Amino acid sequence: MVRRLLALTLVLAACGGASSQSLEGVADLPVTDVAGFEAHLEALERPAVVNVWASWCLPCRSEAPLLDEAYTAFGDRIEFIGVDVQDSQNDAKAFLAEYGLNGFDHYFDSDRSIPNHYLGFGTPITFFFAPGGELIHTHNGVIDERTLALQIDELLNLEG
Amino acid sequence: MEFTLLWAALTAVTATWAGLRIWDDRLPARADDHLLAATLWGLVVGRLTAMIAQGVNPLTNPAEIIIVRGGVATPAAAATFVAVLVWSTRTLPGAVDAIAPAVLFGLAGWHAGCLWRGACLGTPSDLPWAWALPGSAVTRHPVELFAALGLALAAWLVASLPWRPWLRSGVALVMASGLRLVTDLVRPSLGDAVEWWYFVGVFVGLGAIAIGPLLPPPRQGEPT
Repeated sequence: MVRRLLALTLVLAACGGASSQSLEGVADLPVTDVAGFEAHLEALERPAVVNVWASWCLPCRSEAPLLDEAYTAFGDRIEFIGVDVQDSQNDAKAFLAEYGLNGFDHYFDSDRSIPNHYLGFGTPITFFFAPGGELIHTHNGVIDERTLALQIDELLNLEG
Repeated sequence: MEFTLLWAALTAVTATWAGLRIWDDRLPARADDHLLAATLWGLVVGRLTAMIAQGVNPLTNPAEIIIVRGGVATPAAAATFVAVLVWSTRTLPGAVDAIAPAVLFGLAGWHAGCLWRGACLGTPSDLPWAWALPGSAVTRHPVELFAALGLALAAWLVASLPWRPWLRSGVALVMASGLRLVTDLVRPSLGDAVEWWYFVGVFVGLGAIAIGPLLPPPRQGEPT
């Protein structure tokens, strides 16, 4: 029994990834505020998916692969933006190095002013914006594949 | 924090409970306990599998196991559910066959729980029964309600089958997997790939129907 538990422990330990990447030389995430963020959204000609995350947020780690998958599938038609809230630059960079969200344009919002402005609740949150910055849908909490795919399809139909 | 997932889960539990009372012929003792154990094991294994697949180490992030919303690997969860249910009722002849309709009805409840979650809709459609999301002009198939209706009908059909070893459970597996396969055609997804495990479910169910009568009957009287 002990041997089985030890073997299971080793298998699980082997399956998990551990970040050993150096963050030296990695640029800080650009700091933004509500006005700057709104201006950025208004300038977009494509719809946008905005994910609010933080390095301390356990559910954010779980949904990161799904968001990566969405970026891979729809990154050519939709802007994917990350907003890191209530975090430190080093922790944020370590999170991105370990969990991905590659291809996203990330912003640093230490006082959480952006999700508060759009009346989002908790972390993570995923906002869906039409081209030009109109908020179409807010999903509070961890998002699942069906909801993400449905809301992306709504954005693409708006576009069409 | 959103609690809509909990409401959907509660709908599934209520439907399962109702199913056990509607179709209570030949039910084993403590059928609820067997189902609960199988469900919990399915959730744990499915969640662990999803975490590992997502690159999250369960040993260094054990708290994430309870974040079911973060993803549950359905094939692993479903296979574990079936395996634990078969194992825990191994000394009770026909137990899985007797429980099968209630399981299908519980699945129907889970899909109907989309009404709480606001997640019933699938791909765009112009058919008369298509709905639109609030504020949207795009009408869509209410795919999760199709699935709920199909599974409820399947539960009734399975409950009306004759008693033959593994016939009801085999047909239930075929119908549950087949309905997922069919309804997936109108579910939005991030990729185009058809889920391989639906086919596995269909073939395992067909296998159970074919070879069930040839298997030796379970030995009664052993502790479960």
